[in-house]
Amino acid sequence: MSDPRRPNKILRYKPPSTENNPALEDPTPDYMNLLGMIFSMCGLMLKLKWCAWIAVYCSFISFANSRSSEDTKQMMSSFM
Amino acid sequence: MTAMRSLFLFPLLVLLLSGASARFDDFDEGDDLVEFDDNDFAEFEDVSEDPPTEPPARTVTTEDDEDEATVEVEDNQEDFEDSETPDEDIYKYDAEEFEGFEKSNPSFNDPINILTVPSHLQNTWESYYMEILMVTGLLAYIMNYIIGKNKNSRLAQAWYNSHKELLESNFALVGDDGTSKEALSTGKLNQENEHIYNLWCSGRVCCEGMLLQLKFLKRQDLLNVLARMMKPACDQVQIKVTLNDEDMDTFVFAVGTKKAMARMQKEMQDLSEFCSDKPKSGAKYGLPESLAILSELGEATEGVMDNKMVHFLTNHADKIESIHFSDQFSGPKIMQEEGQPLKLPETKKTLLFTFNVPGMGNTSPKDMEALLPLMNMVIFSIDKVKKLHLNREGKQKAEKNRARVEENFLKQTHGQRQEAAQSRREEKKRAEKERIMSEEDPERQRRLEEAAQRREQKKIEKKQMKMKQIKVKAM
Repeated sequence: MSDPRRPNKILRYKPPSTENNPALEDPTPDYMNLLGMIFSMCGLMLKLKWCAWIAVYCSFISFANSRSSEDTKQMMSSFM
Repeated sequence: MTAMRSLFLFPLLVLLLSGASARFDDFDEGDDLVEFDDNDFAEFEDVSEDPPTEPPARTVTTEDDEDEATVEVEDNQEDFEDSETPDEDIYKYDAEEFEGFEKSNPSFNDPINILTVPSHLQNTWESYYMEILMVTGLLAYIMNYIIGKNKNSRLAQAWYNSHKELLESNFALVGDDGTSKEALSTGKLNQENEHIYNLWCSGRVCCEGMLLQLKFLKRQDLLNVLARMMKPACDQVQIKVTLNDEDMDTFVFAVGTKKAMARMQKEMQDLSEFCSDKPKSGAKYGLPESLAILSELGEATEGVMDNKMVHFLTNHADKIESIHFSDQFSGPKIMQEEGQPLKLPETKKTLLFTFNVPGMGNTSPKDMEALLPLMNMVIFSIDKVKKLHLNREGKQKAEKNRARVEENFLKQTHGQRQEAAQSRREEKKRAEKERIMSEEDPERQRRLEEAAQRREQKKIEKKQMKMKQIKVKAM
């Protein structure tokens, strides 16, 4: 069997653009981020402790589901 | 909840305390204990009715003693506005009441007074049970995150180790993240996520490149783990091979589980347009019952389903989710809000494979080796598709199908395209008018207006000419 490899036919990897296929993206981290923000605002304004706890949980879940390409600084700020 | 209640109780208590302490102003000696109970009852000394909260024994003694030692009690009353320890005096004078009673008995001197200490002043663990619960939950989540991440990473590594040799013998470039300047094999998986790993291979005859995606379960997310206990799912390996234009004839074909076929027929743009028949059972071609086939051309099915392929599919039917060969692949249907898109989506000749990892979630790194024969099948398919040529009939049929699809599309969007053209023309006119309006100089304004009018005239004349020509031709 001849070698099927062809080094001259190499094509570079192009990450699939996400604007064309929004359905393929997982919306979980974005939703969780939003929920976390809302709950933290609620907890702050209405002084409900459980709101703040839920916000912390939301931010953790968002972090766990996020893509690695996203900024870590953003993650840290969301924890706050 | 208790926090809220205590929040309300606290100011109430403070108010009461302040009220009580106000009456103690003249009282110098005595206990530090707040005895507003007795304080309230100072007025009731003469009255025979019992104060409600005082225990009956004490009230009885008070009344009894009053008769016997009124003078001194009253004296005491005069000296002190509120006698903090009337009981003490009474007990002193009435030795008959209590036998064996000793004068200096501090336990009796100190009246029993049960105060409710607000819960937030207590510094026990119980007041923090909510926090402890939450922190424990968070710790559990973090533990699960670490464990899940490690497991996924180990599975990915195991997969790569078992497939590395095969890939390297077939592709010149194994592993590329697209960022390095030169096209060198990184030899590593790209970690996109804690549960998705990519690998790009390129440099082979017949194909442009192959993208492998290891889509593991979200083991790092505790919520997902719990959800999976309700609805079991399994890890998947998705392979997408993009072919050069000359490497594949025109056909659309898919085989897979019945559920997957039904779903893909609705979701995928090309399958819904070209394979309008219901999925056929695979039994016709010697496949197990669980597999179904969607195909545009029967000839294509015959060509793909040769003995070796059937052999592959039968042996590994449990691991196959779907296999999709298409020269018109453009991804899933895009749902746009304004109706149909104005342009046909771009298509690419692609082979797609989706495999399920055996184990249904409880996979171990060893299970990854079971996927190696499937990889062999992928390579085999690439070569096969290159060699597969439709005969003339098949090609004609395929051409007709594609023309039909395009025509349908154009018809559907005709109305929209007209609207779009119309709106563009109106935009132009509006821009012109605005330019004219914004000109400060009235002279220039007039001149521009005249120019616009002339252009309009010319257009109308052109149209009239065209109509005349058509009329002449018709005649």
